[in-house]
Amino acid sequence: MIRFEHVSFWYSGSERPALRDVSFFLPEGTFTLMTGPSGAGKSTLLRCLNGLVPHFSGGLVEGNISVNGLNPVIESPKVMSRHVGFVFQDPEAQFVMDRVEDEVAFALENAALPRQEMRVRVEEVLDLLDLEPLRDRRLETLSGGERQRVAIAAALALRPQILVLDEPTSQLDPKSAEDVLNALARLNSDLGLTVVVAEHRLERVVPFVDEMLYLDEGGEGLLAGSPRDVLSQIKLVPPLVALAQRLGWEPLPLTIKEGRRFSRTIQPNGEREAPAPPVAHADEPFIEARGVRVRYGENETLRGVDFEVFPGEVVALMGRNGAGKSTLLKTLVGLVRPQRGKIRVGTLDAAQHDVATLCRQVGYLPQDPNALLFAETVAEEWEITLRNHGLLSNGGPLPIQPETLLARFGLSDKAAAYPRDLSTGERQRVALGAVMITQARALLLDEPTRGLDALAKEALTDLLRSWRDEGIAIVLVTHDVELAAAVADRVVLMSQGDVIANGPPSAILGSSPLFAPQIAHLFPGSGWLTVADALRVLRPEIAK
Amino acid sequence: MRDRLLSVAIYGLTTLIGLVAFLYPFFIPVVRGGAAMQGAHAADAPYFLTLLVVICFVVLLLEVQGQAVNAKLVALLGILVSINSLLRFVEIAIPGPGGVSPIFFLIIVTGYVYGGRFGFLMGAMTLIVSALITGGLGPWLPYQMMTAGWVGLTAPLCQPLARWLRAENTGREVAVLVLFGVVWGFLYGAIMNVWFWPLVTGPADQYWEPGVSLGEILRRYYAFYVATSFVWDVFGAVGNALLIAVFGLPTLRALRRFQRRFAFDYRPYRPSAA
Amino acid sequence: MNRKGAHLHPMAWVAWLVATLGLLVTTRNPLYLVLIFLCLAIVRAVIPTSAGEAWTLPLSPLLFGALIVPSTSLFNALSIHVGDTVLFRLPAWIPLLGGPVTLEAFVYGALNGLVLTGLFAAFTLVSVALPTRALVRLIPRAFHPVAVVVVVALSFVPSTLRQFQQVREAQAVRGHRVRGLRDWVPLFMPLLVGGLERALQLAEAMTARGFAGADEPIPASMRALVTASLALILGGWLLELGWGQEAGYLLMALGGVAIGYVLWRLGRQAPHTTYRHEPWHPRDWAMVAAAAVALLPLLLLPLAQRMSLYYYPYPALTMPAFDPALALTMLALLAPAILTPGSTSRPAPSVAPDTSYDSV
Repeated sequence: MIRFEHVSFWYSGSERPALRDVSFFLPEGTFTLMTGPSGAGKSTLLRCLNGLVPHFSGGLVEGNISVNGLNPVIESPKVMSRHVGFVFQDPEAQFVMDRVEDEVAFALENAALPRQEMRVRVEEVLDLLDLEPLRDRRLETLSGGERQRVAIAAALALRPQILVLDEPTSQLDPKSAEDVLNALARLNSDLGLTVVVAEHRLERVVPFVDEMLYLDEGGEGLLAGSPRDVLSQIKLVPPLVALAQRLGWEPLPLTIKEGRRFSRTIQPNGEREAPAPPVAHADEPFIEARGVRVRYGENETLRGVDFEVFPGEVVALMGRNGAGKSTLLKTLVGLVRPQRGKIRVGTLDAAQHDVATLCRQVGYLPQDPNALLFAETVAEEWEITLRNHGLLSNGGPLPIQPETLLARFGLSDKAAAYPRDLSTGERQRVALGAVMITQARALLLDEPTRGLDALAKEALTDLLRSWRDEGIAIVLVTHDVELAAAVADRVVLMSQGDVIANGPPSAILGSSPLFAPQIAHLFPGSGWLTVADALRVLRPEIAK
Repeated sequence: MRDRLLSVAIYGLTTLIGLVAFLYPFFIPVVRGGAAMQGAHAADAPYFLTLLVVICFVVLLLEVQGQAVNAKLVALLGILVSINSLLRFVEIAIPGPGGVSPIFFLIIVTGYVYGGRFGFLMGAMTLIVSALITGGLGPWLPYQMMTAGWVGLTAPLCQPLARWLRAENTGREVAVLVLFGVVWGFLYGAIMNVWFWPLVTGPADQYWEPGVSLGEILRRYYAFYVATSFVWDVFGAVGNALLIAVFGLPTLRALRRFQRRFAFDYRPYRPSAA
Repeated sequence: MNRKGAHLHPMAWVAWLVATLGLLVTTRNPLYLVLIFLCLAIVRAVIPTSAGEAWTLPLSPLLFGALIVPSTSLFNALSIHVGDTVLFRLPAWIPLLGGPVTLEAFVYGALNGLVLTGLFAAFTLVSVALPTRALVRLIPRAFHPVAVVVVVALSFVPSTLRQFQQVREAQAVRGHRVRGLRDWVPLFMPLLVGGLERALQLAEAMTARGFAGADEPIPASMRALVTASLALILGGWLLELGWGQEAGYLLMALGGVAIGYVLWRLGRQAPHTTYRHEPWHPRDWAMVAAAAVALLPLLLLPLAQRMSLYYYPYPALTMPAFDPALALTMLALLAPAILTPGSTSRPAPSVAPDTSYDSV
């Protein structure tokens, strides 16, 4: 079905190959997960399947590729579009038309199908992906998950036998991601569609897949095989697998259900560690909000919220989409002005000061760090912030030397790089630098793990911990339960514009069916959230 | 060779027809030696003129589009036009000094960097898309599309000067473009006016009366121009100049950076040695 | 039969528009102008407004008229010093403006302003009556890539707006304040660079779904034909302009037809089909017929019988002539009010999804 024989690929002008001597075979009807660090060439490999590489990207291919009996390097992407459907990462940037139905028909129009045939196929894929009720909607009114389903429908309209997806859920919240993955699993099992998906959230996809490909840095060292084989050979694995490996569970459990067979035999309560002492707070919260109300027209987004964060504390703000988390974050720095309520930031009354003044005290990292970056180099990017705050012109000492910050972010060799050329994780750190270079005493982050791979996520976690230890107050809006479990000192749960729960992570995440991390699912009632929590008790000798 | 000749012929002829269309009120009395037109035909003139401009525009569009329009070009144009149309939106929403239009800045710079064809499409498409989103469809649309297209089409004319100054990515390069923007600020106003003129002053026979000389017509156009357009065009030219001066350099850099990504070289398939 | 969002075929509207514009630019007779305005007003009042995708309502034609009519009247009165009824005199030493200011010039300027207002109103009416996508579908098939550009640009408007909002917030939180023009650079550049990045992704997505643009360059024979047609048009026009030769019109018509033929040929070659289709109903034929009724007298009647169209206030203001038969044909411009499905002159439409296919 899909066969790569000694495939190497060089982008034009590049000496180093993006793929080096890759060989594998995927039989018809399989569901394949491809993973590996970013920059390993996953996207390049996927684009070889439909001829985007090299026809769109340019460059040089060596070796043999066979997809459905065709060689995409010889055929054009137009020919391949009938055999391979392709779905991209960003649901916003892959739509041509403005409405669901027209978008689905776009590929059919390009293939010059007669109109009657088009109608049949459009109806078919709308049904297949449960989009019938949305058919007349404008695309920008859809949620992220719905949009990705439209993208899948649009890719399937030509009835390809293969569906390729490049990190289709990395921009989605967990609920939407779940919808998309479930749709894929159904297409695979009901229609026998061959699915190849690149994904960072291993824990969500692994249960569905038959084959796994792991691509290491620089397109080298491809591992191919069953998920169990591949997972046992790679480093960054889901918490369940990590724990199972440490505890020597065989065969390796891939789902919580499989894991429970082992965890049931363990009695966590017996030797439970004494609960960690509550975090010692300074007397005064650094940011304090009382009775904050925000109304947009008819909708009340925040209904009298009380919220505070102390120096040296990480608070995870969680809840469904539209619960008011992002709005709360924006009110704290003055981007949204509340109709009622009082907000104090450091010594400042937020209502009396503009965003710029407040943001000298508080770093705010927006959801899309790209919106921040426009300078020619990383160093210049940071200078712009200093200049904005008037810190560069007065000749006084800088709050922090850029070199120190570069080293801390692991960007020492990137000071002169064009920020937009960096990887997602690096871009995010440049943006973090741009909001924190004022030596702000607090940091607010909106969905910081969106689009990050496991390594970048680890780097971010370390960074947050070290800032916390320096006494910086951190608020984290996130859907990522594993991140919250790893770094949060306190979790605040919001729903419909209200704070509904506020307490230590073990109490709130451990008992929530929706927000529990894998380890909490595995040992309900234990209060354990991370692999480290469990190991501390179960294997004190290796936990250290 | 043949392709080039055809291209030159098509660009030349459309420009010529455009010129005649824009200038005919001036030379009619000269060639006709003062013979008045029949009232009936004279009244059709503006209508007829619009038809000619539409034909010229269609032909130019065909010629520009006919040369390998791939997905990259379509996507790039679509998104840049979308951004530029929103700038037009700003123009309508924030009533600044009349005549200042932020759209020409991007038309000029993209035409300059990505070539005249791109510039032509950028100009023409910006006008039609912004007319669609602001509900500003009107009889003047073909003229605006054509003229804005010309702005982009002619932008690469700055290239030799910039090359001669060895000015890539410097203030001097921006200065060249500022000059170009000022020229088009006035030219655009003057061209749109000549078209508008017959409509405002009525059927052509009013100024094709026997005995009306070219000088007299020029005098009247001049009056019309000063009264209706001159001040606006000054604002337009200054607006173009300011925008190019302020946004020119970073925009040039960004467009050039992406130029490499949008163009590519694709080396042919080499079967496996293995 | 009536469906929500159903409308007359865009080509039928174009026929109507051509007739309206034709009448407007031809006549300066105030009586006929009033009649045409009446038709426009009735049509506007009766047809349902399409669920337009326009982001602003078009400028009201009334407002447009209120601005344009006084200025054209004033301009004409001050610059054209012809006519018998002298209102007052400007001293002759004032350059350009000096001389007698006459009532006739004033009236003529006002009439020109009315014509402009009418043109504007007619276009506004069409853009209100048709949804944006129906307008986009008017782009000839030969211009498929250009049509896709327009579609992409329109569908990216909302996300570009959202992007701008994000950029504004992101810059604000790093201490950015807008004080002068220079401070717009941090707002514009991320929007532009982000746009370029998205354009690359979009181009990939389009390629992956089989969009190939216009792969094949236009055949040289077709381009040669276009060149020849342009030459014909230019030659014919010069002939007509310079020497008053009616044959010039013939040459130009020939050129026009040839260019139309090229468009048609290239459109047929285009390797794609369209999903959405505007079905052509009998009511659309009726609309075309109505447009012909309104326009044909202009083209076919001998000059003597349509003289009343060409009202001319100079040298002295007279009562305009009025030809009831001619006026009757103008009433054909009311056609959309009667023919538009779901217009208030008909039974209320039933609600059904807005999808239209032909029944091939």
